[in-house]
Amino acid sequence: MKLKPVLFLFAVCALFAAQAQTADDIIKKYLENTGGEAKWRALQGMRMKATLKTQGMELPVETVNLSDGKSAVTFVVQGMTFNQNVFDGTTLWSTNQMTMKPEKSDAESTENYKLSAATDFPDPFLDYQKKGYKIEFIGKETVDGTETFKIKLTRKPIKVDGKETENISIYYFDAENYVPLVVESEITSGPAKGMVSQTKMSDYQEVEGLMMAFSITQGMKGQPGGATINATTVELNPKVDPKIFAFPAGN
Amino acid sequence: MKKYLLLVSLFTLGIGSFAQDPATRGKELFGDMTARHIGPALMSGRITDLETHPKDARVVYAAAAGGGVWKSNNGGATFNPIFDEYCQSIGTIALDPSNPDNVVWVGTGETWTRNSVSVGDGIYQSTDGGNTWKKKGLEKSERISSIQINPKNPNEIYVGVLGALFHDSEERGVYKTTDGGTTWNKVLYVDKTTGCSELILDSNDPNILYAAFWEFRRSAWNFNSGGLNSALYKSIDGGKTWNKIHTGFPAGKLGRIAVAMAPSNHSILYAVIEAEKDKDKGLYRSDDAGANWKLLNGDFELVVRPFYFSRIAIDPRNPDVVVKAGLFGSISRDGGKTFKTLGPMHSDIHDIAFDIHVSDRMYVATDGGVYRTWDGGNTLEMVENIPVSQFYHVSVDNENPYNVYGGLQDNGSWFGPSSSPGGVEARDWVRVGVGDGYRVLPHPTKKLIYSEMQGAENVWRYDPVKNQTRTIQPLPQKGDPKFRFNWNSPMAVSAHRPDRFYMGSQFVHRSEDMGETWEKISPDLTTNDPVKTEQGKSGGLSADNSGAENHCTIFTIAESPLDENVVWAGTDDGNVQITKDGGKTWTNVVANIPGLPKNTACWHIEASVFGKGNAYAVFTGYQKGDQAAYVYKTTDFGATWKSIVSSDIGSFVRNIQEDYQNENLLFLGTEMGLYITLDGGKSWLKFTNNMPSVAVHFIDLQKRTNDLVLGTHGRGIIILDDISPLRQLTEEVLSKDFHFFATKTATIPESSGFGGTSTETQFVGENASESAKIIYYLKKRHTLGKMTLDILNDKGEKILDLPPGKAKGINVVTWNYTTKPPKIATGKTFAFNGFTPPRVPAGTYKVVLTKGKETYTTDLVVQYDPKSAIPVADRKLQEATTRKLFNLTQELAYIVYELDETIKAAEDQKSKVPSSAKAVTPLINELNQLKAKLVITTGDNYVGMGEPQLREDLAELYGKVASSFFRPSASELASQEAIEARMTTAKADFKKIKDKHLAKVTEIRAKNKLEPIVIKSFDEFLLQQ
Repeated sequence: MKLKPVLFLFAVCALFAAQAQTADDIIKKYLENTGGEAKWRALQGMRMKATLKTQGMELPVETVNLSDGKSAVTFVVQGMTFNQNVFDGTTLWSTNQMTMKPEKSDAESTENYKLSAATDFPDPFLDYQKKGYKIEFIGKETVDGTETFKIKLTRKPIKVDGKETENISIYYFDAENYVPLVVESEITSGPAKGMVSQTKMSDYQEVEGLMMAFSITQGMKGQPGGATINATTVELNPKVDPKIFAFPAGN
Repeated sequence: MKKYLLLVSLFTLGIGSFAQDPATRGKELFGDMTARHIGPALMSGRITDLETHPKDARVVYAAAAGGGVWKSNNGGATFNPIFDEYCQSIGTIALDPSNPDNVVWVGTGETWTRNSVSVGDGIYQSTDGGNTWKKKGLEKSERISSIQINPKNPNEIYVGVLGALFHDSEERGVYKTTDGGTTWNKVLYVDKTTGCSELILDSNDPNILYAAFWEFRRSAWNFNSGGLNSALYKSIDGGKTWNKIHTGFPAGKLGRIAVAMAPSNHSILYAVIEAEKDKDKGLYRSDDAGANWKLLNGDFELVVRPFYFSRIAIDPRNPDVVVKAGLFGSISRDGGKTFKTLGPMHSDIHDIAFDIHVSDRMYVATDGGVYRTWDGGNTLEMVENIPVSQFYHVSVDNENPYNVYGGLQDNGSWFGPSSSPGGVEARDWVRVGVGDGYRVLPHPTKKLIYSEMQGAENVWRYDPVKNQTRTIQPLPQKGDPKFRFNWNSPMAVSAHRPDRFYMGSQFVHRSEDMGETWEKISPDLTTNDPVKTEQGKSGGLSADNSGAENHCTIFTIAESPLDENVVWAGTDDGNVQITKDGGKTWTNVVANIPGLPKNTACWHIEASVFGKGNAYAVFTGYQKGDQAAYVYKTTDFGATWKSIVSSDIGSFVRNIQEDYQNENLLFLGTEMGLYITLDGGKSWLKFTNNMPSVAVHFIDLQKRTNDLVLGTHGRGIIILDDISPLRQLTEEVLSKDFHFFATKTATIPESSGFGGTSTETQFVGENASESAKIIYYLKKRHTLGKMTLDILNDKGEKILDLPPGKAKGINVVTWNYTTKPPKIATGKTFAFNGFTPPRVPAGTYKVVLTKGKETYTTDLVVQYDPKSAIPVADRKLQEATTRKLFNLTQELAYIVYELDETIKAAEDQKSKVPSSAKAVTPLINELNQLKAKLVITTGDNYVGMGEPQLREDLAELYGKVASSFFRPSASELASQEAIEARMTTAKADFKKIKDKHLAKVTEIRAKNKLEPIVIKSFDEFLLQQ
């Protein structure tokens, strides 16, 4: 008989716990569940080999990200290698698909890259305050049929055609295991400006004690199509020749 | 003890209630079944309010009457919807002057109070430029006319609430918050029939406010604008006290008052006043901040229909340039003394916004979308990507692709294809009526279309092939009373007699010859209440007898698909009549309906396919101030009825569609979106996947495709493709971890045209996918561990893997009937045709889904188009030729690989063993010479491309044959022979070079302890990335 009040208290506590959920609680749980903050913090770099499927095509792709912000994405198409969004800490560049030669991104894109993508690694939520990011718990929402915590991540403002613009992403964390399932953000420039891009994550697998999404699908919210990247191997702290990031001389 | 248990269960209920929300349960079940929008946007729809950013001319917001909030980031070139999850009827938008990039306020509920206007559900705020929204109260306001934010204190906000249209309400007046919308105080209230239609704040002194109050009321059959309570008030103490500022105003009753302050001189105010006498109606001006007013002008454009047009816009730089919303809109450049009409555009202008920098540039809100002008209103161009068309009705035919038909608020009647090459574009839509359209019905067997305009003023039978129109409406004959047609008159065709055509006035009219001759087959089926049929007196201070208030009329007619003599008629004054003998006798069965308030409009009757006596009836009490949902089912010709709504339904209801196979599967069109029941109405789920909370006025179900087609009143036509998986959702299925749904045989489409013609800023509707569909149910979202979906051929060989859907609920994976493209030889450039993936032949394929340790399989049958004229032998030759060229392509890739590896090893050897140069250099040279004939080795991927070699010629031929549906042409087959010969030569040349040099090179490598040259096997090569 004495158990009943305990049960009651438990129910009350559960209710309050659900209500008292803060953005920091959710992020803490997420980082804990995926390996722990210490492990994430110790990560110096990552190389992912993957297959990109889009519009009936399948391309091998390799991404390299280092904790100092350097990054590279490399596709192999019909035996030819293309670089996309390669960043050496100063210059952001890609291969022009007509000439097969490297070209620098415009100055604004490069500066914006420095403000977010280059500082995100290994995870935007790790030490987010130090990065100058803000987070906010918006509430619960069902996405992909699943109950999630909706977190607004505000990175440092970027510039869009000269105007300072908020850089907002909405993350949906699985309410059961706290990993992100979906990320949405408004496209801020180009012809799709104002539309919402949607990235879905799944197939989380453990790599040396860290849980990582092995399947990532990116597209426009509410639109068919999109591209799916399926990782085949993920290598942590890889040895990387720094030359791969540098804008090739003579171009 | 009991108390504790009660508390526990209450809390459990509290926690569980999150999962009980019908939208959440819908998301949990419908997974990634997604609606598609086909617009159209060519006629757009009613825009109620425009808001420009005070500092950034690129940012413009537009509010739609029934289509939500749209934002442009490019100076009005294109707009995107940003408010889909919320109420789509919008009254006003405001940006916080102190943070206009981020803080946006939206007041819901349109305030241009035509009889078809919808209803709002409060005020919303975004603090991130429209990314996310929070409701900030005033839920019962119904219509918000204005939001004014103190530029010096963003937490101090004043809101003008116009309030309810069809009933008394105390939720009206001016509301003020000082805590950013957490709490609201009503600071000015007049009475239950008088609301705030406009509110202005003086940004120089935010304690100064002007509030226009309007006494108004609508019923379904009448409209009254004006009364002694209409007034213009001013406060100079932040809303604490208010005084009427009527010096110079006409005496007596007033109607709706439009008011505006010149941004460049806050002492100058303009007001357009609806008054008792025509001579007093018009534009008034005050030069002393409202202390005194003077009538300047009573032109038609200024005084026309104040309930619909009451907005004044003033040039931000010149107080004498004034634009007034109206039938066509008009502009004054002399301080309001004289006006000229704005340039041609869609009529019915509701708002105008000046560009913040250039006065010649304006945005205009019309019944037909947003327009832009660059020359001060002389020339106007339409924004072409805002599909906020307001359909009253929708129907479909059985063509392939099927067409969608419907009529629109003030935008005529149209039909267009459900899919079209390149997407459903503006040019695909065909106009089949003018004015306010309503029902459009295709003749069941002939290429003829019935359409109508407002109140059956015209009913047309249109022949789209000959482009010939004939008017066919029933006209009173000798002895007939005047026919009372509803603004949206019902029409119906028969499933039994193709040429039969029904129309409804107060009588049911039937024609057996497509409208040539008519017979009245009923008495007056309405209440024929004289009080409700005096439309000549409608309007109040401004007569407004447009026909839209015609009442005591039949609103819906349905002939049973199982018995041509069973016909239902529902009336807008609340009768449900049935005949079982083809119209000889009629019975009013509405009294048998439990819980239905008297005289509630019967909006729709759906005669069921499951029994002669089965029918559904939908009632809408909205125009009586009753916003409850009323949906009933009968199975005995109306003798008894059962309510099939649940508390899940969040708004009033306009339409229902039954499934033709599963009696328990029903689709409900509500004022706030689409609801679906799987259990005959015991519980309802809200469908929200790419489906805004828009009013769904009519639903049709295409029988061949099982596509659910929604006529929305604000977001055009929305289609939910193939609802057949919902038929298969049983308790058993839902209890399984995984379930493959049975799917139709998939047909490989043979169209291969060149797409559409739309330009970059035009809306293009999404096509139905023609791909094969693999549909399954997942009990839980797949998040942890690996999941794959493989397609196997009849030999059990894996031919492809597809990215599987992983959502909880229903997943739809599409397969475009192709497998992987061939591996192409490495060259200096792309061989573009080499990207072509080969199509699979018709046959039965196995689908294997692997999720962790579990494997699930199903068969997928693929067929050639049975209507195609291409003989099977031709297809087999095409497939065999494709396969041959595919194999040749990969064979060449392997030769080039081996060649490259050999060159690489030889180069390496040359550097490591310089003495071997004499032996390896000829090998390298000869291989490079050969390679130059096999692939392009110079140039780029554009106009610098080198001369095509064997790889490019082969890939081009392969691509042409593989993408074709026809027998390869003689020329293609001859080309194939030539290429095969070149391959044979290439192989021989390669062998010759290897025979000549490789032994020596290998010997040197061995002597110098270099690794032997390793060449992967062909199979290994194909697997490598």
